[in-house]
Amino acid sequence: MFSAFDQIFTVANMQYLLRGALISLGIAAVSLLIGLIFGIIGASCKISKHAFLRAIGNFYVEVIRGTPMLLQIMIIFNVIPIIVTSFTGQAFRMNYYVIGIVAMSINSGAYTTELIRSGINGVDKGQWEACETLGLTHWQTMRLVVLPQAFKRIVPPVVSEFITLIKDSSLISTIGAIELMNSAKVLGATYYEYMSPYCLAAVFYLAMTLTISMFAKKLEGKLAESD
Amino acid sequence: MISNDSMIKVEHITKRFGKKVAVDDVSLNLNRGEIVCLIGPSGSGKSTVLRCIDHLEKPEEGQVYIEGQLLDQKDKNYSMLRRKMGFVFQHFNLFPNMTVMGNLTVAQIQVLHRDEAEAREIALKYLRIVDLEEKQDEFPNKLSGGQKQRVAIARSLCMNPEIMLFDEPTSALDPEMVIEVLEVMRNLAREGMTMMVVTHEMGFAKTVANRVIFLEDGKIIEENDARSFFENPQTDRAKLFLSKVMY
Ligand SMILES: Nc1ncnc2c1ncn2[C@@H]1O[C@H](COP(=O)(O)OP(=O)(O)OP(=O)(O)O)[C@@H](O)[C@H]1O
Ligand SMILES: [Mg+2]
Repeated sequence: MFSAFDQIFTVANMQYLLRGALISLGIAAVSLLIGLIFGIIGASCKISKHAFLRAIGNFYVEVIRGTPMLLQIMIIFNVIPIIVTSFTGQAFRMNYYVIGIVAMSINSGAYTTELIRSGINGVDKGQWEACETLGLTHWQTMRLVVLPQAFKRIVPPVVSEFITLIKDSSLISTIGAIELMNSAKVLGATYYEYMSPYCLAAVFYLAMTLTISMFAKKLEGKLAESD
Repeated sequence: MISNDSMIKVEHITKRFGKKVAVDDVSLNLNRGEIVCLIGPSGSGKSTVLRCIDHLEKPEEGQVYIEGQLLDQKDKNYSMLRRKMGFVFQHFNLFPNMTVMGNLTVAQIQVLHRDEAEAREIALKYLRIVDLEEKQDEFPNKLSGGQKQRVAIARSLCMNPEIMLFDEPTSALDPEMVIEVLEVMRNLAREGMTMMVVTHEMGFAKTVANRVIFLEDGKIIEENDARSFFENPQTDRAKLFLSKVMY
């Protein structure tokens, strides 16, 4: 099974996998950040007074969470060049990584929308009432009282979302991006042996996810201290 | 000390939650310096009456007047009128993300536009009144229930309200902490604050209140000066209620 392990387990190949791992990590991190912006917008829509904005927020969340991420990647992969071409009139081929980031950001945004919304809704309504009786406006209450409390509830699940994104970034190997998953495949094809590179990729994935979840546990403890 | 100018006037307010009529055509009046206790069995609508006065709940029918002025959401003095009232909650509702000092200054700075130094000075003055000056840099989670409620009272007082509304301020407290909170309220009463207090503390109602309003099923069943109410209740329902809560 691991017939070519000795040939594969070289410094150069490990560097190759490491590069893939860093790309996966980078794509996940950028997607998380852009996704957080979408999440803030989405959550603002979902808790808005306006029914229309709430409908948009719901539509976004339900569509994204109700369809496979792989399908979303494929659609974006096909749709973006068509849109760009229709504007510029020129054939267009976008960078695989950018497509991956766009798709993953949109996907992650739907999940963080829900995380942020439930974080805000989880703040005791007595806090709103106390602010109301003190004369604070809606936005002052949100900014000074509710969001700081919601933040603590939001951080731990956002870290889990980051871990999910690192794993799910493997899906963009299907459109040709050379991240960790694809790097392993390339090594497998080179040596006609896939088990060794796949298992090595697993080690790299685990190194990233376990480190982050360890960090998350520490952070959670810190955040819980003042409750 | 009680004068004849009306601080709160409630006219025929009704509030429903779905089919349930929580407050049913209630009218009442509170003069400057007066202390009124709202009592009645659980679910009788005491909290809802108090919350309607402060517009935490909007009554569906009827009007609330503060110092003779109609409390109306569409009116431009709406928030100014609401600010004349301080509200103390059963569960304190302190802001856990701020220190005691932060709790006491945030609205002063944001709403009254006091500068920070002035706000802190005023906060300290009220912390001294509730005897918690040394806790100014603590977070609320480090305080006992009684201390939390005293901070919450101080927080309201920092906004210089003319009326204080209390919704069962001691019901969430361990018995040994009830006294310290009632003592603060007693002092406020002595200073001439106009107060409306929902409470199960009959001893407090008896000794501090000028007047008692007894509610049941959302309606005012009996209203009398405190002494007459406790010594000589007029209605059977008030008699029955008192026989259950006084031992
Ligand atoms: N937000 C709400 N939604 C639905 N029903 C409510 C709500 N608030 C109060 N009620 C109902 O209205 C009635 C009056 O409630 P309220 O809280 O005013 O009573 P209370 O006299 O303060 O009781 P307690 O002594 O238990 O605090 C109750 O039947 C209660 O179930
Ligand atoms: Mg109540």
